[in-house]
Amino acid sequence: MRPDGESKFIAIVDDDGSMRSALQGLLKAVGLSSRAFESAEDFLRSGHQRETACLIADIRMPGMSGLELQARLNAERCRIPTIFITAHGDEEMRLQALRAGAVEFLPKPFDDEVLVESVRAALDR
Amino acid sequence: MKHQGKTSWTDGKARSIGLRYGLALISVAAAAGLARAFLHFHLPQPFTAFALSAIAVTFWYGGMKLGILAALLSIVVRGRFFEADTNTESRLLYDLVFLVFALLMTRVARTRNDLETRVAERTEELTRSNDNLRREIAERNHAEYLTSKVFDCSPDAVSIVGTDYRYKRVNPAYERVWRRPVESIVGMHLADLWGMQLFSNKLRPFLDRCFAGEDVSFADWIDGSLGHRYVAISYSPLRSSPQRVEGALVIGRDLTEYALESEALRQAQADLAHASRMTTMGELTASLAHEVNQPIAGAVTYASTCVRWLTRDDPDLGEARQAASEVVRNAKRASDIINRIRSISKKDESKRQLIDVNEVIREIVTLLHNEASRYSISIRTDLNANLPNVMADSVQVQQVMMNLIMNGIDAMKDVDRAREVTIRSQSGADHQLVISVSDAGVGLPSQQREQIFNAFFTTKSHGVGMGLRISRSIVESHGGRLWATDNSPQGATFYFTLPTKVANGG
Repeated sequence: MRPDGESKFIAIVDDDGSMRSALQGLLKAVGLSSRAFESAEDFLRSGHQRETACLIADIRMPGMSGLELQARLNAERCRIPTIFITAHGDEEMRLQALRAGAVEFLPKPFDDEVLVESVRAALDR
Repeated sequence: MKHQGKTSWTDGKARSIGLRYGLALISVAAAAGLARAFLHFHLPQPFTAFALSAIAVTFWYGGMKLGILAALLSIVVRGRFFEADTNTESRLLYDLVFLVFALLMTRVARTRNDLETRVAERTEELTRSNDNLRREIAERNHAEYLTSKVFDCSPDAVSIVGTDYRYKRVNPAYERVWRRPVESIVGMHLADLWGMQLFSNKLRPFLDRCFAGEDVSFADWIDGSLGHRYVAISYSPLRSSPQRVEGALVIGRDLTEYALESEALRQAQADLAHASRMTTMGELTASLAHEVNQPIAGAVTYASTCVRWLTRDDPDLGEARQAASEVVRNAKRASDIINRIRSISKKDESKRQLIDVNEVIREIVTLLHNEASRYSISIRTDLNANLPNVMADSVQVQQVMMNLIMNGIDAMKDVDRAREVTIRSQSGADHQLVISVSDAGVGLPSQQREQIFNAFFTTKSHGVGMGLRISRSIVESHGGRLWATDNSPQGATFYFTLPTKVANGG
């Protein structure tokens, strides 16, 4: 955790409302603040990319997918440490995501400890 | 000489003519003879009277010509044999008497002829009408015979039931059906034959309506002493007078074989619909799995969160409680989805209940939400909140919705523009609900508009092509219609109606 007082937050991008709330609840329990976005487009429109310390994103969403969001951010040279959580993960997708710079690629349902560790690792980068 | 009627005279015309001429001569001769006899006995000579009688008789029995002949003969006879010595004036006077009498007799004879003609005509009329009557009676007897044959020969069970619910008459078919002689059934109470429960629950209400003057009938499965049979029975009131119903004419037919065939057919259709549903569900497996996984993953996360709040040095019970509630909520959501999948997969008998169509639509959209997301398609709903409930089978309606939405998704898979499936529900004319599913896909050429509902028609690379056909059967069996229109400029819209008021069935 970066104790430098910068108001950086963790961004959650998932089209499923329950997942967004659950993640926010979990992060709150470990003392981390987060902001949730319904879609990749919403996140990009928000303009908060630079303040995002870590991105937790679903892969399969209507509209722009998680991987597309990752590519877009890379193209804008906005390197946000990203953790993917998805119900649809296969090995190929996992490798592709990691190659593109993802910190972690977790299946749903995920182990909360693993997620928290991945977030901490992402924030320490 | 006895007059037997004109008919006796016509036997042998020559003989009759001879006889008639003979009559004239003989009657005059008889008159003369009688007069002579009277003279002999010194009695006042009444040749005139006798002659007149003779003339009358001859006119009556012999006709006009002979009467005149007799008159002339009498004049001659009188002139020759009686009072030959009187002077010409008195002779002429007597002759005149005869002539006048003869003239009068011609009137009489003519009247008599007229009367005879009229009598003959009347007789002919009477004979004719007698023949007609006889023929009518014969026909009527024959008709009654045939009618009674109807009663006896009818393969249907025909009976007459009195207002005391006892059999007054039963036809031989009853013997065959109940395996007991007709005589043993006559006089029996219906409950004794059919069973009290069947009688009071099913038969009696119809009989009562019939006794009140109504023609009623029913066709249904019954369970009685004959087992599980499908019967069609009609009750017609029998009246002795326009006001009084004396009994009921009951005609019944056993249609169990036909009903079983019809049931088998219906079952086959239900099996086909089920198979089609299962095929679709198979296609949806990945999406459905994902759909269930979301709330489960959510529940797991909340549960972990709850544990974290509790294992702190300073546990926050409030937060822990909130997290725990969310676990419950999410787990229930997962359970709901599973239940929905189970209910669609069931092969059960079609169950019709009052359902809220909007709720059904929302449920199916939830199930298909993920599938749509896979192809980056969004599902939009525009549902009228004030729709009345409809009597329908929710599983079948979901099948129709599933079919239409999946078709919409398929239509847009390769399309560049905004991919949206829109579902609308609204009230239509004539107590109908109208539900529509629109897509922005490849559209529908006009020649395909009806073709697509044919069995085995498909433009997809997968699937059998039965979906729309089954959907249409389902909608029509509910009393509605399913049709498609082109959605210019892009895509197609499928509409179906469901009636909100069911007509009163018999």
